[in-house]
Amino acid sequence: MEKSVATLDKGTTCTSWNYCGQRLATGSFNGFLSIFDSPDPASSSFTATSNIRIHEGGIVKIVWIPPEYGDAVACICGDGSLSLWEEIAEDGLPLQWKLCKIFHCKGSKVLDAQFGVIRTSLKMVVAYSDGHVKVYELLNPFELKNWQLQAEIQNVIDSVSTFGKASCFSASISWNPQRNESQEPSFVLGFNSDTPQLNSSKVWVFDQAHHRWLPVAELALSLDKSDQVFAVAWAPNVGRAYELIAVATRKGITIWHVRLNPGLDGRLSVEKVALLSGYEGEVWQMEWDMSGMTLATSGTDGMVRLWQSNFNGVWLEQAAFEPAS
Amino acid sequence: MPDVAADSAASASAGELVPFVPDTEIAVVYPLHHGLKPPISRVSISWARGNNLRVSLLRNPPSNSDSDGEIGGKVVEVNLDSGAADVREPAQWRRIAYGSVTPFALLQSRKNSASILSKLQSSPSPFHLDWWEYVMEYSKDIKELLGNPKSNYNPLIEDPKEVLKKGEEPTSLKAAWELMEMFYADKLCQSWLPERLVDWLADYDCLLSGDQPAVHSKLVEFQGTLVTLQVIEDDPKYWEVISSALAVGWLEIVVKLLRLHGSYQLDQISRRETENGLVETVAVLISMMPRMRPELKNGKLGECFKAKPDFMKAWEKWREQITKLDSSAFWVLCDHRQTREGLKNLIQIMLGNTEILCTATSHWIELYISHFLFIRPFTVGFESMYNLAQKCVKMKPMSSPHKLLRLIIGIIGENTEVVLAECSRGFGPWMVTHAIELLTARSDQADFLLHKEHDDIGGISMEELHRLVYAQVLTSHFLTWQIAPVYLTSCMRQGMSLLEVLLYRQPAQHNQLLLKNLEICRLYELDHVSSNIMKIAGVYHWKHGRKGLGVFWLQQARDEFLLNKIAQRLFDSVGKSISGESFKQWEGLIELLGSKSKPAGSLEFLHKYRDFKKLLQQVCDRKTPDAARHAADLLMLLMKNPSTPQRFWLPLLYDSLTLLSWQGRPLLNVSQTNLLLNKLQELSMASLRPGIVATDLPAEALDSVRLALATNLGRAILEEQ
Repeated sequence: MEKSVATLDKGTTCTSWNYCGQRLATGSFNGFLSIFDSPDPASSSFTATSNIRIHEGGIVKIVWIPPEYGDAVACICGDGSLSLWEEIAEDGLPLQWKLCKIFHCKGSKVLDAQFGVIRTSLKMVVAYSDGHVKVYELLNPFELKNWQLQAEIQNVIDSVSTFGKASCFSASISWNPQRNESQEPSFVLGFNSDTPQLNSSKVWVFDQAHHRWLPVAELALSLDKSDQVFAVAWAPNVGRAYELIAVATRKGITIWHVRLNPGLDGRLSVEKVALLSGYEGEVWQMEWDMSGMTLATSGTDGMVRLWQSNFNGVWLEQAAFEPAS
Repeated sequence: MPDVAADSAASASAGELVPFVPDTEIAVVYPLHHGLKPPISRVSISWARGNNLRVSLLRNPPSNSDSDGEIGGKVVEVNLDSGAADVREPAQWRRIAYGSVTPFALLQSRKNSASILSKLQSSPSPFHLDWWEYVMEYSKDIKELLGNPKSNYNPLIEDPKEVLKKGEEPTSLKAAWELMEMFYADKLCQSWLPERLVDWLADYDCLLSGDQPAVHSKLVEFQGTLVTLQVIEDDPKYWEVISSALAVGWLEIVVKLLRLHGSYQLDQISRRETENGLVETVAVLISMMPRMRPELKNGKLGECFKAKPDFMKAWEKWREQITKLDSSAFWVLCDHRQTREGLKNLIQIMLGNTEILCTATSHWIELYISHFLFIRPFTVGFESMYNLAQKCVKMKPMSSPHKLLRLIIGIIGENTEVVLAECSRGFGPWMVTHAIELLTARSDQADFLLHKEHDDIGGISMEELHRLVYAQVLTSHFLTWQIAPVYLTSCMRQGMSLLEVLLYRQPAQHNQLLLKNLEICRLYELDHVSSNIMKIAGVYHWKHGRKGLGVFWLQQARDEFLLNKIAQRLFDSVGKSISGESFKQWEGLIELLGSKSKPAGSLEFLHKYRDFKKLLQQVCDRKTPDAARHAADLLMLLMKNPSTPQRFWLPLLYDSLTLLSWQGRPLLNVSQTNLLLNKLQELSMASLRPGIVATDLPAEALDSVRLALATNLGRAILEEQ
């Protein structure tokens, strides 16, 4: 059933597939960015086609930019820096991976960065280790070096919350994958930090009228609000009246129904529909399939699990995979 | 791990989406073989095409001591779903997948027209009454695909000792399809369902032998020993297989076997006359067995009766003859014990002796069939069929019943959900998606159940869900994804959204694939998707050095925003090197950009600028006064036009030095020259301001132009006087 599609170099620390699963970007502990390609779209065998050193230290996460903006990746390195690299053929020069931009941030590390396409502009949410979140906007798709800071937020549901200097270990961001132009852009964000207010996952929506980001829902019951969040994943929506978001915490994976039409207080109605347990350690990653019906998760225990809902809305683990040599 | 593909297939995606599966069921853990040296430090996942999950397995970063050249990790792809169980060959599966598209699409379009028609007519339409016929037509087309004609051959010379004829190699997929067809769609066979089941078992009994041998496998085994047997009737196996075959109604096999009896041999017939008479009588009685069915296939034995009273009469008469034979005095004269006992056994079977029927059969379905044939030939209605089945299951319990048997229980138990679940679990998403049409052919209740929207899972109906699951299976493979839209578009809301996601995820950089994608978009009127795909392709090509192709796709996408950005870039680079060779590189692009899109002001300038440059070239080559005058007019137009950026003024004038100092008569009049001088003055003032773009022109350019203009002014004044 399983077949090997690529063999990775020694010291590979992270992998990331592009939108169509035809290119693989990998990062290594010594700062190399490798790109794997297949000879044709029918093939599922990938080999490295370029390999460049982008940093002195290790790369911890790679995120592909949406395809409307070309072939580019954002690389988060172990020292917390974030850089953007693009494959481009500039006048008279051969095709090569080029550095477009380095995002500097004094004193804090980048923990996660994710892209969202909104109408004609590209937005990038970046979460930092000091608990700050920045939203950048790209104005010209042909110039990935020019980003404008659109907003700076903190992951709290009411702006009056006060807390000291936060120290965050990880963050997880997931954009609403809908490409529907009538919907306002939104994303969900959760932290794994020592500051309880920051942790719980919140849904942020862009308020076009006032040109600002608003927290409109908190995906945690009152007792779980301070739980550290390991991963969040917003499911593709193929015709449901509500959105589906998965949140992983120490207690397990919770599945939430979120209705995007806000109430009078501007908040969205949310409902926790399942708590899935099974992982011994942290949940490391969660990915919805293209229909938003199956959730695949991986954890620090090395297990890959698949979850689905039955017709009664009961979520169950359907299969699990355990690495075996 | 081929088994996982079949078993986990259902569990991973479709099979468990039904309420009857116990919630406490523990998920199966499958090993994921990667061949790496442990330990694995990280496992990362990503969904690929359809139901393929890619898992990256990463080893710990190497330490200094670790220099054994071991690889750092692997990416493995796990396919979570195979389309149809039992179809192991990918090519065979694709044949089925592609072949079922047309019948499915045709039926859907008929369904749509039927629903429009029934809306138009308030009274029930005659169309509706004949619906099952359309479904049968569909079913026939699908059935043809499921056959396996590979082993279909007819020998020229019939082997007298060949009791079992080899025909089409049966598949459980086809067996399941036929079950669904006979119970749900085929209206004509409803009056003779038990006999229809007898035929079904005759075709598919061979699939049932697993832990326990079925009648078919017993026959196969016996046939193997047939050539070596000297005195066939002495062998208890001979009588055993005859009774088994009779119990399940394979009359022609029984008769053929009986006629292999030793008493038929010419040298023995005189000695064993009575014995032979008895064998032949039984054989004749068997071949005369009344059957309640409209017809029998060629070579099949029995007498058909369509009407129940006629059948009853014949049945009673037949039973009387058997009873009479049973109590005949000839048995005493039969010396051969095995023959006597064997034949008596057959008579008991025909008289419906439950105990003997139970011994003669292996699986409950065989016993069930024997009940229809010899005990309860009038069984009608699902309830009585179900009760009888339960009785047979009790008499022949099985630890792990075959999936076909589970399906039968579901069908006669009238539990649509179980039927769907069994179809899905046992036969895969292809089966359930296509068999739903059979299920709803005549049943309003099933129709309601399948079309009911389930709020718990987002307002999707079971029918739609199964179609989506199947479409996802199709998208898992590069060679089948193109047919997924047929199924997706048959579910209006969810299907169309999923189709959009699917199209968006196709690689846009491969031209052929891109064209295929666009074709699908055009077919289903997904204009916004196609423009997005073209935009992706446009940006890709532009950024990968194929600028012309990039512009072409962006134009096709009618993406004014990006085209304007490109125009702006062109404009900027042209502005920097107006006199240089690089202009030629851009000329084609300007041409391309201008052909269809509504150009922005800057682009309009570039067009005029290009025309001007061409004209200027002609002037330099031919030195004709007309061309020079024309060029001078164009220069004035450009200089007067507000969309001409200031930074182009000097390059334009510098390029036009030939015109400004034209031999013969001046090309510009006084007012025109004054205007240009004013512009030049403006430019000199502006050049003092910071932020002005420096051009690649020589330092003395401004002075040369000024001088030329001044000379021209002088000449123009003289001329005008």
